[in-house]
Amino acid sequence: MTTMAASNDERFRKTVAAILGMSPTDVTDALTPDDVDTWDSLNHINLMSALEQEFGVLFNAAKLGEVQSVGRLRAALTEHGVAL
Amino acid sequence: MNLNDPGVSALTPREVAQTLAALEGDPTVVALAQAARTLLPQVAALGAKPLRVACLASYTADPIRTALQLQGLRAGLAIETHFTPFGQSLQALIDPASSLATFKPDVIILAERLKDGCPAIYDAFNSLAPAEANRLADDWLAGIGSALKSYRQRSDARILIQGCEQPGWAAMGIADRTSGHSQAALIMRVNDELTKIAADIGNAHVMDYDSLIAWHGRRQWTDRRLALLARMPIAPARLWALAGFYIRHIRPLAGLTKKVLVLDADNTLWGGVVGDVGIEGIELGPDHPGSAYVAFQRRVLDLYQRGVVLCIASKNEPGIVEDVLARHPNMVLKTAHFANIKANWSPKPDNLRQMSQELNLGLDSFVFLDDSPVECELMRASLPEVTTVQLGEDSSNHAAVVESLDCFEQWTLTEEDRQRGVMYVADAGRRMAAAAAVDMPSFYRSLDMRLSIAVDDAMQTARVAQLTQRTNQFNMHAIRCTDADIRKYQESPDCHVLTARLVDRFGDNGIIGAAVVERSGVDWVSQIFLMSCRVLGRTVEQSFLKWIARFAREAGAARLICLFKPTPKNQPFSGFYRDSGMRLADNGEDVQRWEWDLSRADLDLPIWITIDAAVMPK
Repeated sequence: MTTMAASNDERFRKTVAAILGMSPTDVTDALTPDDVDTWDSLNHINLMSALEQEFGVLFNAAKLGEVQSVGRLRAALTEHGVAL
Repeated sequence: MNLNDPGVSALTPREVAQTLAALEGDPTVVALAQAARTLLPQVAALGAKPLRVACLASYTADPIRTALQLQGLRAGLAIETHFTPFGQSLQALIDPASSLATFKPDVIILAERLKDGCPAIYDAFNSLAPAEANRLADDWLAGIGSALKSYRQRSDARILIQGCEQPGWAAMGIADRTSGHSQAALIMRVNDELTKIAADIGNAHVMDYDSLIAWHGRRQWTDRRLALLARMPIAPARLWALAGFYIRHIRPLAGLTKKVLVLDADNTLWGGVVGDVGIEGIELGPDHPGSAYVAFQRRVLDLYQRGVVLCIASKNEPGIVEDVLARHPNMVLKTAHFANIKANWSPKPDNLRQMSQELNLGLDSFVFLDDSPVECELMRASLPEVTTVQLGEDSSNHAAVVESLDCFEQWTLTEEDRQRGVMYVADAGRRMAAAAAVDMPSFYRSLDMRLSIAVDDAMQTARVAQLTQRTNQFNMHAIRCTDADIRKYQESPDCHVLTARLVDRFGDNGIIGAAVVERSGVDWVSQIFLMSCRVLGRTVEQSFLKWIARFAREAGAARLICLFKPTPKNQPFSGFYRDSGMRLADNGEDVQRWEWDLSRADLDLPIWITIDAAVMPK
């Protein structure tokens, strides 16, 4: 279970990093759109879609707009049963 | 190559080809973002052709930007985009001072959804009386028609109109078509009307958007959440497909339509290895698994009939592939469909290089299709300019791979396209005659060439435009024209549009040359002079040029001026005008000006070509 969580964490960081154009090691829970200039409204949609594709989940419409930090992205995935 | 490193170094053409092939194979949102970061900053260095594309939509269209640029790069285009804010398409078209007008696009994509313009037709159809529904649609069409007409007065841009989509389920349910007031029929009528608008404004085309959606699945096409939240009806996972659909329609404009399809044989044309199982043992016939290969061959035959030149590159003992073509009763593709067959043990890239020389067609117009990942990888590594497509393991998908090839598209099909395959096969006979002849004049005489020149023949407009788009090598001024551009030349009292058709003892080569000359006082200036590479080296090009010079002289011209614009592709012909006896009058940075004093020029025509001419009245 621990290794599984670690690999999910890696996938999560890699996905976020790929969309925002940063290194996976710089992906911290505290990051918000205010901290990353590539995190605009369009890339926010890309971010959500990329996580949906990566983890095979579907966020509900209300979630799509409201999760505005890496920590909350992580929480949204956990709610869908992804062990992070 | 670390895709996550923002400071990536320059990629080799091989790496670019690999990245784009991987993206086409699995265009996830992450793969798109990564490819955009690595490739897009280098577009200029990759030698892609610049093209300005404006997107006008009734919804948020800009999420497609990177996908469009990457699909463009895949086709060889460096696309600069402009997006008008959603819902302002018609104003942008009408206003001569709009940001669209300032952008000066080469191509406009007009993605106005009937669903946005007339929501009732989609969301409240059962509340509409038939007359009301029709009136709504007609008003919407009239708005689009008049905005496009107004824009057309100020721009020659190619206009691509996105057709209307059908609803998931008709409002009347399964009774839609029998109800006497059909939603589906109304939407089809709107698409027909759009086609009429396109014909009316010229240099415009309606894209069959509904078929694209159907191909990818209507249910997956729209992300309802994003449609509501961000006015972005197209699911992010489908943007790559939509961008590819747009580029499919843009390719012909930039001369980027592919011409040759090279097929592997074993496990591509048929199942099994013929060298092992023999001609009787291969899978090819009406029942599975042979039926998958028959289906595949039928789709390839469609391409042949659209003018794609077919070849085979197979690792086999010489003769065995030819034997299957000639003898197997279930082959859809026959010997006569192939312009060039290389069945041997040489590396396939070597074989493609040789085909390119023999067919006189650039390798960048080649598509290579093989089931072997090793062969595909070798081809991408050795010849990145060739478009390499790998067939999957499951042969039942092979036909679909051919169906979805997007690189052979042309806006119109001419008689030459339908006959091209036959012409290339006849070329093989001509090569043998050349090998047998003792000297060039006797080879030329042996061909029995007849050149038919037509001046201002309106029937040839589409073919002339197409030649300007397809001809990359012997294309002296290298300007690309649309049908409308050629029509303008034809209608101008100061211009002549000439075409040359060549027939020889091996068959009809079709219209292989075109020229446009413009009168300017005592000078005649050739704006376009080009010839299909298939017929070069038989003095046809010199004969056509001299005939034009004689025609000009008879009409009272003192000089013939020919323009040459050097491009990477027409370099081999940079000496053509000099060798013909012309004088370089101006060696401009962009364009050279070659002159002929018609009172003194040697305009004798070769004795081995019979020339006839038809001059249509202006």
